[in-house]
Amino acid sequence: MDKNDLIIRVAGEGGEGIISTGDLITQACARAGLEVYTFKTFPAEIKGGYAMYQSRASTEPLYNQGDTFDVLCAFNGQAYDLNRSRLLPGTAFVYDGPGGDFEPDVPPGVHAYPIPMTVTAKELGGIRVKNMIALGALSQLFNVPDLPLREIITAKFTKKGPEVVEKNLTAFARGRELAAALPKTDPWKIGVPTSKSDSIVLSGNDAIGLGAIIAGLDFFAAYPITPATEIARYVARHLPKRGGTLIQAEDEIASISQVVGAAFAGKKAMTATSGPGLALMGEMLGMSFMSETPSVVVNVQRGGPSTGLPTKHEQSDLFMAIHGSHGDCGRIVLSVEGVEDCIGLTVEAFNLAETYQCPVLLLSDGSLAFSTQTIPYPDPASYPVVERKRWDGKKEYQRYAITDDFISPMADPGTPGGMHIATGLEHDQAGEPNYTAANHEAMQAKRFRKLDAVVKNFAPVEVDGEGESDLGFIAWGSTIGVVREAVARLRAEGISVKGFYPKLMWPMPVEQYEAFGASCRKVVVAEVNYLGQLAHFIRAETTLRPESYTICGGLPFTPAMIVGKAKEML
Amino acid sequence: MTCAQTHLHKVELQTKDYKTDTKPFWCPGCGDHGVLTSVYRALSDLGVDPNYLVNISGIGCSSRLPYFVRSYKMHTLHGRAGPVATGVQLARPDLAILVNGGDGDGFSIGGGHMPHLARKNINMTYVLMDNRIYGLTKGQVSPTSQRQLKAYTTPYGGVEEPMDPVLYMLTYGASFVAQTLATNVKMTANLIKEGMEHRGFSFISVLSQCPTFNVVDDAKTFKGAVEELPEDHDVSNIDAAMHVVNMGHKNGRIPVGLLFREVRATLDERMADLVKQVGGSPDYDLRKIIDLARP
Repeated sequence: MDKNDLIIRVAGEGGEGIISTGDLITQACARAGLEVYTFKTFPAEIKGGYAMYQSRASTEPLYNQGDTFDVLCAFNGQAYDLNRSRLLPGTAFVYDGPGGDFEPDVPPGVHAYPIPMTVTAKELGGIRVKNMIALGALSQLFNVPDLPLREIITAKFTKKGPEVVEKNLTAFARGRELAAALPKTDPWKIGVPTSKSDSIVLSGNDAIGLGAIIAGLDFFAAYPITPATEIARYVARHLPKRGGTLIQAEDEIASISQVVGAAFAGKKAMTATSGPGLALMGEMLGMSFMSETPSVVVNVQRGGPSTGLPTKHEQSDLFMAIHGSHGDCGRIVLSVEGVEDCIGLTVEAFNLAETYQCPVLLLSDGSLAFSTQTIPYPDPASYPVVERKRWDGKKEYQRYAITDDFISPMADPGTPGGMHIATGLEHDQAGEPNYTAANHEAMQAKRFRKLDAVVKNFAPVEVDGEGESDLGFIAWGSTIGVVREAVARLRAEGISVKGFYPKLMWPMPVEQYEAFGASCRKVVVAEVNYLGQLAHFIRAETTLRPESYTICGGLPFTPAMIVGKAKEML
Repeated sequence: MTCAQTHLHKVELQTKDYKTDTKPFWCPGCGDHGVLTSVYRALSDLGVDPNYLVNISGIGCSSRLPYFVRSYKMHTLHGRAGPVATGVQLARPDLAILVNGGDGDGFSIGGGHMPHLARKNINMTYVLMDNRIYGLTKGQVSPTSQRQLKAYTTPYGGVEEPMDPVLYMLTYGASFVAQTLATNVKMTANLIKEGMEHRGFSFISVLSQCPTFNVVDDAKTFKGAVEELPEDHDVSNIDAAMHVVNMGHKNGRIPVGLLFREVRATLDERMADLVKQVGGSPDYDLRKIIDLARP
């Protein structure tokens, strides 16, 4: 039987080629025209520790990593122990044996396929090809596209010479033979796509880098931090091709400062970080707001507080993203659902920063950061790119002039007559320090009222479902993709349910929340944090009184959990 | 190496043309008045076009200086003038960047940035206005305060050793390091001028007395302690520069003049080289980048 939605989990010791095995499966499926959605976990340490890579492949669009695996491939005993409870009747289990470091006590109903990976690898001249044997076995047993796999293996090792290519292809073929010799008892096989669309495969982090380059990024200030560093890696590789530059700063305070400096100088600038870095940037975000200098900050959330769970998934920086700075400090906060958003909303983040001359924060999260997904080929020309309003040179220039839309034209250094000061001190329309009550009230109103237009002009909220409903789910970030699938499953069972998926987190599109709340008998907010941060803002800003459904175990929700919650509530 | 873009757009202007309508708010007798006069003089001597000058500061008495200089300017956060200026400079290498700030701003709260401005050789002129005290908060000891200084939070006298900014900047790899006295406008103006002409990170430490809060390091004490560098001082010799500063520590003298200068590539030049190396241009087809993500 072809299962048109198969989840393969490869697990073992970090450094054994777990991640590259998963990558190869993903790339091969995508090349064959399948949709893919991957999920990884890896230890905070460089060597050793448990690593896991899960690839979900389907002929239909995918929005999340799925409930659990259909196929487990365990490289060692630890991987088996950690996943044993999920080896449900009907699942397939490929493992290193005989001759591996463990003898599994296979649970009843599980289809077990022992493949002597370690022993065969040693016969073929080295433990390093162990993962190729596993890959061959998986390819044979579950129809992971064979030809694309060979092509990708060849391409991957070509730089190391024909001998290395041959060695890996031989191991791969041997893995297929070993698996072919075993009777196939399970029904799982990856489906064959009927058509092939023009698509690319990217991780969330890489897609943010691509979005920034499409938006016209000139300058990127970086500081290494998990799980955001890949954004800088992507930008460092590709931005110079477009004539831009990346600087690695001495800390996150310096990186946001450099962004504000470069933006004052007339350029499009950004930085990317995770919670600890954003915490350090708070003061300069205030300066960005006060001096009306655009800044774009990506925050890839991880488990907190403090150092927390550096490599794990959490959505717990919403409080800080929205209010993390002293004084009354405005900003725009966006959040991405998946890889496609990582491109489009990053472009939008720049457009908003240029338009409203304020900090714009883009929230991603730990599971999306490393998740690779198939998305339609993005046509760069299809993204509107906005430039800031610049002074026309007429009349006398006032940097902070109060205009009809409260947006004051900017003047790049070098513009004759445009000299002005960008300052964090309260100032008048000319930029001169002014601490009078009337001035502070007028200027705060100016800085906030310009943001009134954000919700009017840009409020990407998707409502999944129409009319009245018994239950409404609200989700943000990568949880949206999980809720989408849960909502579809519940509907298929005849349960009346709707979904509300905001991408603009701040300012809040209050009217849209209200309309959604009015159409649902009960509302639940599902988010991966302890405090129920979005639920808190909804209670504060709207008349909705939603129930909060939170988990914070370092992993995302699964569709089954959301389905379970819905049934519990109805 | 990529040919250096000019960072000094020239015009013919008088000293008064660099003054704004805002009058300095410093106390009478403050060394910062002398620094400001020197800045005006250096700018007019050089003929810097104020439209292409960005004057950047952090927080403190001395960080108000940009308000009094006709230019584009940024009055940033405490300690952050350096990295903000880095962003401006790398974004627009055609601009002249002048940073002003105090000892607390640059070497306490902003101390983590100084090594990187120096070693990366960011093309800017950093004028440290060192009064050896926090003035704007009414007189607390700073990293350059003399030990045992009785001040706001040290009623029994300070208990920490001071640091010497000049020695740090030599060690950090600044490509231009000078020291001068706020009351010596001629020397200060000349060094600022030379610093601005220098392509790279130029650091000028100006001893700028605080008559209101620092009773130890007053103008007279500074004047008595300084010693001009010997005529045969070799500005290209880092060992000689360090030696003269260290000798000063031993015998209680403060060397003034140009201590060290070397010409080496700036960060913006190296970045321009990198872009050239990959054949970078704003017209580079985005599709070529996107195509790399095809499975």
